[in-house]
Amino acid sequence: MLSWEYPPRVIGGISPHIYFLSKHLAKQDVKVYVVTCDFPGAPAHEVVDGVEVYRIDSYKNPSPDFATWVYLMNMNMQKETAALMKKISSKIDLIHAHDWLVADAGIGLKHIFRKPLLVTMHSTEMGRRNGLNTTAEKMIHETEAWLTYEAWKVICCSDYMINHVKYVFGLPNDKMVMVPNGVNPQNYDVDVPSDFRGKFALPEEKIVLYVGRLVYEKGIHVLINAVPKILSQVNAKFIIVGSGYMKEQLLNIVRSMGLEHKVLFEGFMDEANLFRLQKCADVSVVPSLFEPFGIVALEAMAAKSPVVASDTGGLSEIIEHDVTGVKVYSNNPDSLAWGITKVLKDEGYARYLRENAYRRIQEKYDWAKIAQDTKRIYEGVLGEYSKSFWA
Amino acid sequence: MLRVIVFSWEYPPRVVGQLAEYVKALATGLAQNKVDVNVVTYDEHTMSEAKESSGVKAIRVVNPVKTHIGVLTWVLTLNQEVERAAANVYYSSGKKIDLIDVFDWHFIPAAVALKNGLGIPFVYSVESLEDHRSPTANSSYNLAIKSIEWLGFYEADAVTVKSEWMKEEVARIYQVPAQKISVIPPNSDSGISDFLRVYSAVVEAKKNGT
Repeated sequence: MLSWEYPPRVIGGISPHIYFLSKHLAKQDVKVYVVTCDFPGAPAHEVVDGVEVYRIDSYKNPSPDFATWVYLMNMNMQKETAALMKKISSKIDLIHAHDWLVADAGIGLKHIFRKPLLVTMHSTEMGRRNGLNTTAEKMIHETEAWLTYEAWKVICCSDYMINHVKYVFGLPNDKMVMVPNGVNPQNYDVDVPSDFRGKFALPEEKIVLYVGRLVYEKGIHVLINAVPKILSQVNAKFIIVGSGYMKEQLLNIVRSMGLEHKVLFEGFMDEANLFRLQKCADVSVVPSLFEPFGIVALEAMAAKSPVVASDTGGLSEIIEHDVTGVKVYSNNPDSLAWGITKVLKDEGYARYLRENAYRRIQEKYDWAKIAQDTKRIYEGVLGEYSKSFWA
Repeated sequence: MLRVIVFSWEYPPRVVGQLAEYVKALATGLAQNKVDVNVVTYDEHTMSEAKESSGVKAIRVVNPVKTHIGVLTWVLTLNQEVERAAANVYYSSGKKIDLIDVFDWHFIPAAVALKNGLGIPFVYSVESLEDHRSPTANSSYNLAIKSIEWLGFYEADAVTVKSEWMKEEVARIYQVPAQKISVIPPNSDSGISDFLRVYSAVVEAKKNGT
C-alpha cells in the first residue's frame, strides 16, 4: 500500500485512513506493507498492529516546488518499494495506491512486477480547486486521469465521489467501487471530567459545536449568520474549533452582533479534548457548501452527538434526514437555524437521532467492515488477474 | 546472445542534439555484432515498435501527461512509460535481459527502478553533465537534475564517457571511483568493441555476484 502520509506524519485525511484500513486488513489475514514518507523521529521500518510500515527518505532531492517534489519523492518511493518487492516478490499480490501523490510509483511498480494496481481517489484536483486554472493544476489532473486509467479498480468513499470521478476522468462504470470512509467509535471511549463541560458553557446553555477549518467552502459563515435566529428561541453556546483564513472576518461579525459571550473561537484543539467536547455537544453542525465525504459528521455520530448538516456532497449520503440526523438547505442560515433549534428544543428527538446514528456507524462505517469490503475487492481483482496473460 | 536495452530520450527521426545519431550508430553497430538491441525512446507523435533493417528494435513511448510545469515533471512522468516498455521487453524475452545502457540523466529513474525491482544491471553513458550545461545555475531545479545524475552514478554498475576530461569531471564532481568509468571516444574504430567489453564485464560481475 502506497501513501504519502501515515502516522505520525498527518497532513490530511489519508493518514488516518491508511492507518485504520491497513490495521483492519491485517486483522483479516491480509499481509499489508505500507510504504510512506519519512517523519522526524519515526523509524524507517516498524511493525504497527501487524502492518509492515516502511518510511522512505522523501527529501533526498532538492525541489523547486511542491508538485516537482511529489514526482521526485515518487522516484525514491518507487526505488525503495521495488527493492522491497524484489526481496519479497512472491508475497505481493497487488499494489494499492492512494491519490495522485503516489501515482508515478504505483504505475511504475505495476509494470515492473506485472501486478494489478488499485487506486483510492480521496479527492480530485478539479474538486479541490473548483476547476483547473493553472498549468500545475492541469498537470495534476492529467496525472490523476493517468492513474485511474492504469488502475484495475478505482475506489471512492462516497457515491457522490464515484459520480464525480467517473465524470471527470471518463471512466467506465464497472471500474468504480464505493467503499465508505470509516470512523473509530473507540476514540470516544474517553472519560469526561465532571468540570469539563463547565469550561465551555453554563449549565443552562446548550452546546452547539462546529469542528472544521474556517474557510468558505465549510460554510462556517452560514452558521454565524444563524446564531441570532437560534438564540431567539434557545439559550446556547456556540463553540468553534479549528482555524482558517476567515477567522478575523468571523470574529468581527460576531463582535458587531454583540454576541462575543455566546460564540467561542477555540482555534486548534488537541485530540483528547476534542473527543470530550464532541461527547458533550448537544448538537454538532456541518454547514459545508462543498464536501467530498464529510468525516466530521461521522465523528459526531460516533461521539453520540446529534448532527445537523447541509444537504450536499458526501453529507447527503451519510445523513438520513429525520433518522440519523437533520439535513438542511446548503448556504441557508434560516434552514440551518431551523434544524439546530429543532434538535435543541426536543430532547426525545435528539436522543432518537443519536441512537440511530450510532447504530448506522456500526453497520456501515465500521473499519472492520470496510476492511472486509476492501479485502473482497482485492480477491475479485486477483480472480480476474489470474485469468490474464500477466498471471 | 547478449540482450541489451538502450534508453535515450532522443533517437532518429527525433533529433534534438548529437545524441540521437550517436545512439543510432551504436545500436546499429551492436546489432551487427549479434547483440539483441532494444532502444526505448520518446516520440510525441509515433507510439510504436519498429524493427529496423539492422535488427535493432526501436520502441517509442509518449508522455501520458501532456501539461507540465517544467522539464523535471515531464521527465519524471515519462519514466513510467519507459519502464513499461522495458518491462514488456523483459517479460517477452523470458526475463532474459542482460543490461540496460542509459544515455544521459533523463531515464535514470527508470533504470534505477528496473535494477532494484528486477535485478537488471545498468550502464550510465554520459553525454553531458548539468554542471557543464548550466555552469553558474544553482537553483533547486538544477540541483534536482544533479541529484538524479548522482543517483545514476551511485546505482550504475559501470559508467562510460567520451573523453579523459569527462572521466576526470565525473570523478571530481560526483566522486565516482575511476575504475568504474570507461573512456570510449566517439568515432573511434574500437567504439563498438569497447562498449561490448564494458557490457561483458557488467554481465560477468553480475554472474559472479560482485
